[in-house]
Amino acid sequence: MKTIEVPALARVEGEGGLYIGLENGKAVEIRLDIYEPPRFFEGFLHGRFLQEVPDITARICGICPVAYQMSSVFALENALGIKITPQVRMLRRLMYCGEYIESHALHIYMLQAPDLLGKESAFEVAAIAPDVVKNALRLKKIGNAILSAIGGRSVHPVNVCVGGFYQWPDSQPLKKLLPDLEWGLQTSIDCVKWAMTLPYPDLEIDYEFVALHHPDEYGVVEGEVWSSKGRKLSIKDYEKGYIEEHVKRSNALHSHTVDGSTYLVGPLARLNLNHEQLLPAAQKALKDSNLKLPLKNPYKSLIARAIELVQFYEEAIQLVKSYKPEGPAHVELKLKTGEGAGATEAPRGLLYHRYKIDDNGLVTFAKITPPTAQNLPRIEADLFALAPKIIKMPEAEATLTAEHLVRSYDPCISCATHFLKLKVEEKGK
Amino acid sequence: MKIAVIGIGQSLRGDDAAGLDAIRKWQEKYPKTANRPEVRVVASELPGLALIDLLDDMDAAVIVDAVKSSAKPGIIHRTSPDELSAFTPDAKSAHGWGVAETLHLGRELYPTLKKLPIRLIGIETEQVAMGAGLSQNVAQAMPELCCTIEDEVQIFLGK
Repeated sequence: MKTIEVPALARVEGEGGLYIGLENGKAVEIRLDIYEPPRFFEGFLHGRFLQEVPDITARICGICPVAYQMSSVFALENALGIKITPQVRMLRRLMYCGEYIESHALHIYMLQAPDLLGKESAFEVAAIAPDVVKNALRLKKIGNAILSAIGGRSVHPVNVCVGGFYQWPDSQPLKKLLPDLEWGLQTSIDCVKWAMTLPYPDLEIDYEFVALHHPDEYGVVEGEVWSSKGRKLSIKDYEKGYIEEHVKRSNALHSHTVDGSTYLVGPLARLNLNHEQLLPAAQKALKDSNLKLPLKNPYKSLIARAIELVQFYEEAIQLVKSYKPEGPAHVELKLKTGEGAGATEAPRGLLYHRYKIDDNGLVTFAKITPPTAQNLPRIEADLFALAPKIIKMPEAEATLTAEHLVRSYDPCISCATHFLKLKVEEKGK
Repeated sequence: MKIAVIGIGQSLRGDDAAGLDAIRKWQEKYPKTANRPEVRVVASELPGLALIDLLDDMDAAVIVDAVKSSAKPGIIHRTSPDELSAFTPDAKSAHGWGVAETLHLGRELYPTLKKLPIRLIGIETEQVAMGAGLSQNVAQAMPELCCTIEDEVQIFLGK
């Protein structure tokens, strides 16, 4: 029996375990194992007042706290039958721009690029190309600055509430960001060009792509849940199309469609389903790249993220320029018993929440379906597809190719896991 | 002299909240120091690479974080980034960006950060289970931890 152990899979958020079982030169078993206590937050929310929910769910992830806040407030607003004002909606989109910018800049340059450049870590990239890493940090910093200007702080912003925002952020700190945002737009356009030059491994998968779709804007908040196989569902009917199942060996839930198929959420799904809604500069970056859609190579999700970086810098500029706080920052709540679902597009993919509340506004049920749980079965299926190729490789290269695939998903395993160890086992040896 | 006093941690993960709690308790216990105009106090949950931004324009920094080595839970470590290897996880196992990795990268890239005097105060954890509060050993060390923060800040203020 042959075993390779890597202490942990580097450059993913969280920890878990990857196991590849080989027999007679074929992969017979592939598992992405999850060790963290599951669903802690769903239980933790029981009995909490609904206004505590966005601040608690923000703590599920240090990289995408806004996504957890946004899906929860939309779900709770639906439970109460509240409609937010257009201004609140715009400010929520601007917050989301900040989150996409900081999350994508991190993943593109610091987490996945080292694999494509043949480097072990971002430290090595910094040694050969310090300006690239400095640009990455500046791109990311601007995203954080948007979050700080709206949410009071960049990690776990505190201004979001059910019904809107506790208070309108001052417009001056936001307007002051415009020169930085213009720089970010240009730099992200260059990032797409650079991303097109990187050497991606060959792998084409016939995915079922699933993402929020909105006819008038790049789908991030509200809209319908669209699938590339033609399934179109309202957000409240999401669970009629997509089912979570407990997998015995894993603490995380795994999702599949009602037909029992795996599906893919995240940047590839969004770009393939929503490219017509991209803003002009992002459209142009896509066109200039000569990419053929649908993009089916999971490693090339880096390019999709780069195009989205352009999209969200461009949108942030528009939203900051048009920001004029007027009227109340939040709708007054009238508490009542209810149930509501909400979904938004986290940087890593569709994030679905559903809550039941009682007439005092206390949570009696919470369901949170993170993007990584939806992608886990898909990552395993991709590794099966990759297996015939990596079996022929030397151990170190096989390990790296498999790790790179997992990293290209940008799995936020901390949403659902802890400790990722890679173990390749040759059965019968 | 601008000094950043930064507490890092996760509020819902047992002793991992120690850095955040310590900063708040130090603010309450030493308001005269914490409220000085040259002192900037930040309680930051999982700042990751944004730690570099928190050090922008600063002349010195005191960073408080939970650490795990082989020492007894509640033990307080005082160190500087140059001595960080003791608290650096295997570089390959860096999930996310910890304090050690971030400071290492920042000091590689920015000469000003390389020169920035930084003191790190680490408190040895016992458990980081989700939803748990501070363990008894860590909770009992809080008064000493506040004194240690005050001591390190005063050393910078005296310079």
